[in-house]
Amino acid sequence: MSDELDEIQAIFFEECAEGLLAAEQGLAAMQGGDTSPKTIASVFRAVHSIKGGAGAFGHAALTAFAHRFENVLDEIRAGRIAPTQSVITVMLGAFDKVSDHVAAAQGTMGLPDDAASLAALEAVLAGQDAAPAMVEAPAPVQVPIVVEAPVSEEIDPFGFEPVTVAIEDLGGSDAAPAMPVDPEWTILFAPSRDAMANGAEPILVIRELEGMGAQVVGVDTSALPPLRDLDPENAYLRWTISLPGDVGEDQIGDCFDFVAPDSIVEVTRTNGEPLPPAPVEPDAPLREPGAIHDLLHRVEAASPAIFAAATTTAATTAADAPAKQDPRTADTASQTIRVDLHKLDMLLNLVGELVIRGSILSDRLSPADQQRVELPEQARLTREIQDTVMSLRAQPIRQAFNRVPRMLRDLTAETGKQVVLETQGETTEVDKGVIEKIGDPLTHLIRNAVDHGIESPDERLRAGKPAQGTIRLSAAQKGARIIVTVADDGRGIDRARVRAKAIEKGLIGADAVLSDEEIDQLICAPGFSTATTVSNISGRGVGMDVVRSNVEALGGRVDISSTPGRGTVFTLVLPLTLAILDGMVVRLAGQRFVLPLAHVVEAIRPEPGQVRSTTPGSEVIEVRGTYLPVRRLIQTFGLPDPNPLPPEESLVIIVESETAGKVGLIVDTIDDRREVVIKSLEQNLHPIRGLGGATILGDGSIALILDVDALVAPLSRTLTRGLAA
Amino acid sequence: MSMTENAGELKMVTFALGQQTFGIDMRSLIEIREWAPPTPLPSVASYILGVTNLRGTVVPIVGLAERLGWTPSEIHSRSCVLVVSIAGKQAGFLVDEVNDIVAIKEDAIQPAPDVEIQDTNVIAGLVQITTRGSEGDGDAAASSMVLMLDLDALTVTSTAATAASAIGAHGLHDAAAATPASVPGGLDLAA
Repeated sequence: MSDELDEIQAIFFEECAEGLLAAEQGLAAMQGGDTSPKTIASVFRAVHSIKGGAGAFGHAALTAFAHRFENVLDEIRAGRIAPTQSVITVMLGAFDKVSDHVAAAQGTMGLPDDAASLAALEAVLAGQDAAPAMVEAPAPVQVPIVVEAPVSEEIDPFGFEPVTVAIEDLGGSDAAPAMPVDPEWTILFAPSRDAMANGAEPILVIRELEGMGAQVVGVDTSALPPLRDLDPENAYLRWTISLPGDVGEDQIGDCFDFVAPDSIVEVTRTNGEPLPPAPVEPDAPLREPGAIHDLLHRVEAASPAIFAAATTTAATTAADAPAKQDPRTADTASQTIRVDLHKLDMLLNLVGELVIRGSILSDRLSPADQQRVELPEQARLTREIQDTVMSLRAQPIRQAFNRVPRMLRDLTAETGKQVVLETQGETTEVDKGVIEKIGDPLTHLIRNAVDHGIESPDERLRAGKPAQGTIRLSAAQKGARIIVTVADDGRGIDRARVRAKAIEKGLIGADAVLSDEEIDQLICAPGFSTATTVSNISGRGVGMDVVRSNVEALGGRVDISSTPGRGTVFTLVLPLTLAILDGMVVRLAGQRFVLPLAHVVEAIRPEPGQVRSTTPGSEVIEVRGTYLPVRRLIQTFGLPDPNPLPPEESLVIIVESETAGKVGLIVDTIDDRREVVIKSLEQNLHPIRGLGGATILGDGSIALILDVDALVAPLSRTLTRGLAA
Repeated sequence: MSMTENAGELKMVTFALGQQTFGIDMRSLIEIREWAPPTPLPSVASYILGVTNLRGTVVPIVGLAERLGWTPSEIHSRSCVLVVSIAGKQAGFLVDEVNDIVAIKEDAIQPAPDVEIQDTNVIAGLVQITTRGSEGDGDAAASSMVLMLDLDALTVTSTAATAASAIGAHGLHDAAAATPASVPGGLDLAA
């Protein structure tokens, strides 16, 4: 049962992630000027469903915050608050808090401090365009906020004088009852008989109501059958619940959002009058039509133009209202189903197996039979299935880009720099595994660009650039590679400083001669940082190191190009998929291994004397005048080799590695060149240094995939275990 | 002896290894395969004989005898691999011979006395079973002792076992030298 609940909860968090995505896209569109009812409704729907789910799972803090946010959105949706830029800024802040709350509910972080954002939302609700300062001010709820109101129009039509209003007086729905005269609510709640089978556990609804001060005053057990007829999984009880009068009816309604459809819910004021079917305005005083009207009057007096604008927006919104009434219209656009990633992986495995069995079958047939149309046809179909399954794993890279805007908002607030983000190619599809793993590198690159690249507004103006810096984030597919670039128009890499720092840290010698590119690459060295002070954002010297190691772990690389004064471009070259690799099948002591083709430079059949030993156990090969280190993989892996071949009868494959440059690997022969499906070793075992995984060859046997970077890394750091074995 | 699943009863697969009869809980068993030489792995504990292809998944093959610190099993015609699931991971165990599937009462499992097998006690308990077909032959001959293996305690696939801690570091190469070309097809593929 608890497993089931966990599963449902997991679905809820998935939906939260989707909801947040939709909300962020909607808010971004609104920021870009699209304040159509459809966009507003999409944000509202997203926040509303997050709130609903959160309530059902008892995430009180998330529910409470989402509720306030929803109130503002509701007002905007109804056209009572104009979605001005400052309102949208408040909402973006609130969106960030909702994300934090969701993360807190998932247990990945602590409860966020949402007081400032709440205050800003309340200020918007109060009809006041919150000043940006409001958003950041860490205002506890009790702190009075400022409402501007004209005092004397005669003296100055735009004269504002701050009036201090305590937030309790503004009357949030949870605040002290503003209208104590409200008669109490009485709710009759009879869940449908099969409510529990439908997952609509009545106790959750009652708990949610109790959270708002409700009390169960009566339970009608008359529907209970005699014991022998009682089905313990059915709901037989009817509850009478009383609720303080100051709770909004919409809040009550929200509690019943997720009850089974044929449940009976009657909400009445205690005076016995059932409520009219039409939704009644929530009774927080400032949201009363009268109160808003009053406020508008005051604003109108101060600035007729603004009032006119506000009412126009209201009118257009109202006119478009019928369109947004049908929430399904927006949803039918994409028909998708949710599939467990494991199932996709399993499908991919099975297809791989099908390919292998196909080739075994083909090997067993006579050459004449192999040429018949059925076999090629089947091979083609299998290939098509394989491609389709691979495409199922592909996701738009937008998923990785999506967290950047929020991060930039935080960073710019922290640094006082002004940055706009331009994104391109968000729809480029990348394997799910790649998306999961480039999140961290992207985070570091953006932080780096804001902290080191983009200058302060003053400095930019002095350099003749616009005060606002630009970060361009783009993605594109080129052949079997995905190119992701992060470009800023900041000051570029200060090569003299990087060089000085590298000498200071002992990374290079004081007299080293380095090209610009080599100096640029130094910033990726572990522990390197030029920041004079360690800030929250960067300076600990782990960032670029992480970028490089994560990207390399994906089988990609990082290119850096920088122009002093003009900016820096980081280019991540990533493989399209993690699952398939272009490889060279080589033999070592009779066993087959796969060498990733991306690392292979050339294969050499050495002449006698071309491979020479320098010290015992280390050899070099002379290639066109250059001496390259040589590794005997048979020794590295400790493979039994009954009759070792002399170098002249083996092959030396020159590989290019990030850890040790060009290195020659001695193998017996090259068998084949083919695309292989990568299978992880850690799925059932554990990672093994020197191996990047395994693959299944055409005859069903397993070949191990070599991890070139780990294999050729300087000996002191590697494979001592391998040598011991 | 009833083979149906009753409350408090569990089914156990018994197999021979060396001079002993072992048992594992049937619920952990995925399948029984014929022995086929696996692809040896470098830099692993000697009891990991290599990896094999189980319907597209790479599964490690463990020499149970080596894991228990005994001399490696000799491969013969009845050698088999028991593919089991341990904490979500799959592994194949090389055993000398699979004997039987028996139903036992859970309370018939006696706690194992501190049997000295390597570093951890991998025996979950002892069970006395009546050997099939030998009923009426006399009580002593009719029953035998089965050592219930604690699969979790074997920790063959969960930790990065180091070669340094392994005994008989040459076991890997003996297995590898058998035949480099592997024979495809386990029992499941016969159909």
